[in-house]
Amino acid sequence: MRTDFPDEGQLVASLVAGDRKAFEMLYRRLNAPMVRMCMGLIRNRATAEEVVQDTWVAVLRSIGGFEGRSSLSGWIFAILVNKARTRAQRDGRTISFDGDGDDDSLSAAFDGRGRWKNMPDLWDEMTAERIIAGRSVMEHVNAAIDALPAAQRSVLILRSQQGMEATEVARVLEISEGNVRVLLHRARLAVRKALDALA
Amino acid sequence: MMSCKEVAEKANAMVDGEVSAWEAMQLKVHLAMCKGCGRFVDQIRTTDELTAAAALDDMMSEADDGRINAILAELNQARHQGG
Repeated sequence: MRTDFPDEGQLVASLVAGDRKAFEMLYRRLNAPMVRMCMGLIRNRATAEEVVQDTWVAVLRSIGGFEGRSSLSGWIFAILVNKARTRAQRDGRTISFDGDGDDDSLSAAFDGRGRWKNMPDLWDEMTAERIIAGRSVMEHVNAAIDALPAAQRSVLILRSQQGMEATEVARVLEISEGNVRVLLHRARLAVRKALDALA
Repeated sequence: MMSCKEVAEKANAMVDGEVSAWEAMQLKVHLAMCKGCGRFVDQIRTTDELTAAAALDDMMSEADDGRINAILAELNQARHQGG
């Protein structure tokens, strides 16, 4: 499920050698999450796709200099964030990952003594079978991710989908690890709320 | 004992295995007695699994020769121009 690369060294060597198959594999794994994250930063699909395309060109141009100090995907997402920042600046905007959304979807869920006002539902329908039976749950999850503020969306994609450690996510987004945890908490609660509406 | 609110605040860290041994024990005691929090932690776990699965769903739908060709063409052009 998580998109780590089993033999990253081999993959990088193939990319350096200009192996198209290796690039296609990498592209298929990362392009959609890159576009999804970039859309959160840029807010315009066509521009976001352009930024992602520029990122790929930059990745292939500089892959020979990749030293493995971060994971390959961490390195690629960091380039993406830089490209998005540059593009936003050119358009007179800035991208900030600090303090988006102060509240979470649980703030009203408890009484004065910290007990559930309404007991959470049992998600017995939210199972693998239902996912295989129809794509609706996945589409719902993706719509919920797309509705998140940029910072929460970025953290969720990098941490929960790309499987990066909190330290690496913090490095890619240039925020603190504590902030990564807070953003992940809020993002998961928001997606949970969207799923709860289906249950 | 931890309140439900405190358990809910710790649920993400718990799912990620980022709680201390002391917190883990307090959580276990609460969860053994509270159906609501048990459900909530399960929901968070399911949410994380479905979020990861959604990425896989994205990957399977993406196979874009046109774009890959465009990237490689741009790369060649950039190499010719910039060395």
